[in-house]
Amino acid sequence: MWQLFKRERMWTARPLKDRYEVVIIGGGVHGLATAYYLGKLGVRDVAVCEKGYIGSGASGRNTAIIRSNYRTPEGVVFYDESVRLYEELAAELGYNVLFSQQGHLTLAHTDSAVNGLRVRAEVNQLMGVESRLIWPPEIKRLVPAIDVSSRPRYPILAALYHAPGGIIRHDAVVWGYARGADRMGISIHPFTEVIGIGTSNGQVTSVQTTRGTIRAGTVVNATAGFCSTVAKLVGLKLPIVTHPLQAFVTEPLSPFLDKVIVSANLHVYVSQTDRGELVIGSEIDPYSSYSYKSTLPFLEATAAHTLELFPCLRQVRVLRQWTGICDMTPDYSPIMGEVPGLKGFILDVGWGTYGFKAGPVSGKRIAELIVTGNTPDVLKPFSITRFWEGRLAGEKAAAAVSH
Amino acid sequence: MKDSRLPPHPAQRVNRGKPITFTFEGRAIHAYDGETVAAALYAAGVRTFSRSFKYHRPRGLLCVAGRCPNCLMEVDGTPNVRTCIEPARQEMRVRGQHAWPSLERDLFACFDKLDRVLPVGFYYKTFIHPTWLWPTYERVLRRLAGLGRLDIAREPEGHGEHVHLHADLAIVGGGPAGIAAALEAARLGVEVLLIDDGPTLGGHLQWQLLPSEGEQPGYALALNLADLVRGEPRIRHLAGATAFGLYEGRLLGVMQGEHLIKVRAQRIVVATGGFETPLVFQNNDRPGVFLGDGLQRLMTLYGISPGRRALVIANADRGLRLARELLAAGIEVAAVADVRSEPHSADGQHLREAGVPVLSGHTVLEVRGRKRVEAAALVSLDSAERPSPGSEKTVECDLLALATGWEPASALLAQGGARLDYRADLGGFFPAELPSWLFAAGEVRGAQGLGAIQKDGRLAGLKAALSLGAGDARDRALAEALQEDANPPPSIRPIVSVPHPKPKRFVCLCEDVTEKDLADAIQEGFDHIETLKRYTTLTMGPCQGKMCHRASIGICAALTGRDPSQTGTTTARPPLKPVPLGVLAGPHHEPVKLTPIHHLHASLGATWMDMGLWKRPLVYTSVEEECRVVHQGVGLIDVSTLGKLDVKGRDAAQFLDWIHSNRFSDLKAGRVRYRVMLDDAGIILDDGTVARLGEDHFFLTTGSGSLELVEQWLEWWLAGSDRCLHVTDVTGALAAINLAGPKSREVLARLTDLDLSPEALPYLAAVQGTVAGIPVLILRIGFVGELGYEMHFAAEYGDYLWETLREAGREFDILPFGVEAQRVLRLEKLHIIPGHDTDALSNPLEADMAWVVKMDKPDFIGRATLARVKARGLRQRLVGFEMLTPVVPGEGDAVVADGLPVGRVTSAKWSPVLGRAIGMAWVPPDLAVDGGHLQVKCDGQVCRGRVVTKPFYDPEGKRLRS
Ligand SMILES: Cc1cc2nc3c(=O)[nH]c(=O)nc-3n(C[C@H](O)[C@H](O)[C@H](O)COP(=O)(O)OP(=O)(O)OC[C@H]3O[C@@H](n4cnc5c(N)ncnc54)[C@H](O)[C@@H]3O)c2cc1C
Ligand code: FES
Repeated sequence: MWQLFKRERMWTARPLKDRYEVVIIGGGVHGLATAYYLGKLGVRDVAVCEKGYIGSGASGRNTAIIRSNYRTPEGVVFYDESVRLYEELAAELGYNVLFSQQGHLTLAHTDSAVNGLRVRAEVNQLMGVESRLIWPPEIKRLVPAIDVSSRPRYPILAALYHAPGGIIRHDAVVWGYARGADRMGISIHPFTEVIGIGTSNGQVTSVQTTRGTIRAGTVVNATAGFCSTVAKLVGLKLPIVTHPLQAFVTEPLSPFLDKVIVSANLHVYVSQTDRGELVIGSEIDPYSSYSYKSTLPFLEATAAHTLELFPCLRQVRVLRQWTGICDMTPDYSPIMGEVPGLKGFILDVGWGTYGFKAGPVSGKRIAELIVTGNTPDVLKPFSITRFWEGRLAGEKAAAAVSH
Repeated sequence: MKDSRLPPHPAQRVNRGKPITFTFEGRAIHAYDGETVAAALYAAGVRTFSRSFKYHRPRGLLCVAGRCPNCLMEVDGTPNVRTCIEPARQEMRVRGQHAWPSLERDLFACFDKLDRVLPVGFYYKTFIHPTWLWPTYERVLRRLAGLGRLDIAREPEGHGEHVHLHADLAIVGGGPAGIAAALEAARLGVEVLLIDDGPTLGGHLQWQLLPSEGEQPGYALALNLADLVRGEPRIRHLAGATAFGLYEGRLLGVMQGEHLIKVRAQRIVVATGGFETPLVFQNNDRPGVFLGDGLQRLMTLYGISPGRRALVIANADRGLRLARELLAAGIEVAAVADVRSEPHSADGQHLREAGVPVLSGHTVLEVRGRKRVEAAALVSLDSAERPSPGSEKTVECDLLALATGWEPASALLAQGGARLDYRADLGGFFPAELPSWLFAAGEVRGAQGLGAIQKDGRLAGLKAALSLGAGDARDRALAEALQEDANPPPSIRPIVSVPHPKPKRFVCLCEDVTEKDLADAIQEGFDHIETLKRYTTLTMGPCQGKMCHRASIGICAALTGRDPSQTGTTTARPPLKPVPLGVLAGPHHEPVKLTPIHHLHASLGATWMDMGLWKRPLVYTSVEEECRVVHQGVGLIDVSTLGKLDVKGRDAAQFLDWIHSNRFSDLKAGRVRYRVMLDDAGIILDDGTVARLGEDHFFLTTGSGSLELVEQWLEWWLAGSDRCLHVTDVTGALAAINLAGPKSREVLARLTDLDLSPEALPYLAAVQGTVAGIPVLILRIGFVGELGYEMHFAAEYGDYLWETLREAGREFDILPFGVEAQRVLRLEKLHIIPGHDTDALSNPLEADMAWVVKMDKPDFIGRATLARVKARGLRQRLVGFEMLTPVVPGEGDAVVADGLPVGRVTSAKWSPVLGRAIGMAWVPPDLAVDGGHLQVKCDGQVCRGRVVTKPFYDPEGKRLRS
């Protein structure tokens, strides 16, 4: 409670040194969580370089769905660890991240989608994650506002109910990690863009920023939508294409929806925040782009699909729409770990449309990798070498609106 | 309470001859046609129109233009309706919201005392320990959140349509600048679309009782201008239409009532003017505090007397003018506090002559009165904008009219790519650089005074028209001349807040964010305007930042020691006005595809399933019976849903070889071959058949849901290549029926002269001929594992051939069969369905279809990855299995080993002919051996099965070939 009346700075402006042990590029949830967990492991000579303000990338633009009901066993184990870290995060950081574990429903409107959900339910249960297939009467009980009748063109046939899933206040996570890292002496440098990376003999040696050059032996690329441009600075081509992803919110309404609703078949998902706004989003735009411009067709299509699920929302108004960019890999799974042949260059990218929920576990495990020099088991399935060896991870198969 | 309506006046929009009655919180309210809900309520004495988000403070009318959060009510079950722009209608039901038990007496008002324990961002700092209590806290927080309550049982009707309009020139804003631009462009022969959100043209002139310049009062001038527009056939006026976003491709999103209009214009002039914003001072949110032009609208357009005695607060000439307008409407003006050191316009003199004191260098310090304005304290400001000690004066009044802040409505310009720069002389951000197709005119560009505004509008219209190629040398010269005249220097003292020791000085009315909250947030490090916004939720409420944007920049700048230009603005996100989901969604049609034989299936009582856009019969009678007829007699199924592509051209054969993993260049004319299409990662996209009809002519079928995918895929690989061929979608033109079963030859023989003998028409042959008198392409293939003929023919004959075949087969007890039976039958043969048995990771090698992969032919799509898969070895295999117990697993159930998932069931059915449950599953390679044991988790139980890699039924394919 005393915190309420204290006005401490969340993070301090420190001078940019010309040498750090570790430089993290990207001040989103991934970069900042990595910095935080590095600090916890005793590595504090760390700089986070962020070209905009803290959280200005996807971490400040996402719709903050947290869940672990993935399809592959590797995926489930990984995201489940993240959900557990999120559950403890407020206490860990001393900062309430408003994790609303309200429960998460993935809807199916076709028989093959039902089968897809069944696959996930089975894998989830076997991996110890709460997740089960439910049918329209129970869906209606959990979500009274939803239309489960047979009137819509694609009626709801079933849903995957994942009770631990929910939404979170994304900015609070970002700020909380930044504050935690700052308190341990780690430097956070907003408005510091990395424009070059020096290497010598297959080893990273320095980064050039808009505020000067820094020597560092370990550099983490945690720049999500921009990661290919940063990888290019060391001549590395990533199997990643950046696509825009849009979302919008409505006016605040007294909360009536306390489950996250995702419909892959209708390309729409809806949740209601603790403030009462509905947050609504869709799939990535079908073209690749780095543009933050929002579009009208997205609003039209997504509004239409929202009304198919919730006809009662017809007169509810949209307040604002926005766009972020997503680093998509061919198999909808991230790329994490060191790059063979380039010592000290660590990737934490390919987070696509689903990376916010993975912030804690990636940060923790990447930090562990940096400190021990060994790749933790949970990261192994996500190495970049899988693309070179033709063994993709299986999350694209889940064909969900993948948040 | 006595009615507070003013005498009729030509500027009013109200028809006093037409009374209306509606209810407000159960009480009857008398209104007149043309009045808004809020105007009628105000006339009936209502002053508290809403309760604030966090502190539940009473809030009254402020902007009277639909721009602020203060008048949101529930109307006929719809929450958050802006009552100040909602027309009153007979019998509507209006209720307050976010208050209990009523707006006037809200018990939650006690929160107003809790500001000390509810500072900005309090929720980030509290409810952390113990963690197990957080869900309970959260429930309480949620209960308190939100504004209006949605009736989830109500499903409002939608009547809106989506309309496309194209224009040479679209002008947004029908005030004097927009009208001048429109008239000028039309004069040069340009077709103009004039978009304005009011019911009538004239912008702010419409609520002016006095002349701006010359003799004519504003409202009369507005009527004249509207007449001029009406007389100009090249101008099309969209009334009551809000342009809510300017999107890429010069696309304006426009909402007109329930319609969404998508305007694409070659040139766009933004003449949106600006709007007043509140000043930040103690109790600046009390009912009775009005924005000046809101007050004018209430008086002039709706004829409502807003109060007894007004105090006007000014920082520019417009405040002096406001005081004169009040006088003209018959309202007493207690005083004008003008924060500038000298009043600059002639209006000051007028006011003094009328006996109204004008206090230079003064502004308002605080409002007094618990629930509404009773008095205000004025104070003089020193040059550092701090109140001078001892200068305080109290003025009794029941209205406070603010002309203290003004913000250009420049969001469309920003969205269109304009650069906006801060102008210290005007205290706002104005367009400094515009794309060549975008123009700004009038107040939004900083023009001051009617003459300058109109001239600026004219210039914009002229420039836009010239850039479209209209006009001549004289017009160009005119443009130059208009350009040269400079605007008169403005006189504004742009203050945004007045310091006070008490904290209820609201910057953001939507979210109850005070100046102290901003100061606290900045102290905590949220000193960038974007982080400040995110932390305090400033600009994120229902007013979308209209009321707080300007003040928050000023305050942030002052508190961080930067100037506003360094502070910058937050992004102007669309929509500029809240747009209902129903308007955006429009009538929304989800297409349904029906086969030409659909109605016959319906009359047979088929149950339906969706497959892509198609409706298909799932079952007619029973799966067992339908399977039995196909195995023992003859059945027929409507397969018109198959995608059908006609591929013709010199390079067709070679192209099909490139697109598919198997080979077609060696296919003989008159033969059919199975096709599998892969993506570049070797993943199965679709399957079907290819029939060669001639040297350069092929007929392709695709899966029922994948026609679009296949067609796009072929077009993608054709685009830019110099291959000589055409791909034509003939799906809609053709119907298709598959006649299957051991008796199918006999049935077909009755309808055709073709030689159907196995020698003349063997398995995998294709022939074109006449069946029942119509031309038919017959493919001898057998997805369902029996002798069969897939017939493609003109869609018009769909029901004719269907009925004729049924008639011909009567003696063999022919029956139609549906998709469910088809799926059982094909499973007995282990034929895969892409997308059902395969997913985004399935390649043909692992799907046990190595026979369709011809690694020895020249390159094909997916080859490189398949080579790599070969090298690394298979990681999973698609196999058949049968259950050892009579359970049918769910499709999607897990295959387990040691309690962990190692694979999954993709298809599982009960086979009546085999008398057991069979299926297909992905399993690890070590399990993929014939007879191998399989554990499947069905409904929580582990059940045993056995792997089978050969087809269950007729493994040698004798029946198929018979
Ligand atoms: C609309 C939308 C909805 C989403 N919904 C969800 C969801 O519901 N659940 C979920 O889990 N995920 C969701 N995501 C995805 C999620 O937001 C991202 O995967 C995640 O935030 C990535 O975090 P990050 O820290 O890696 O990247 P970011 O937050 O993007 O941070 C990267 C930072 O790097 C900075 N940067 C880039 N280049 C440089 C440079 N050269 N020098 C210095 N700094 C640089 C950028 O400015 C940026 O701030 C969504 C994304 C969007 C856009
Ligand atoms: S008073 Fe109605 S929106 Fe401002």
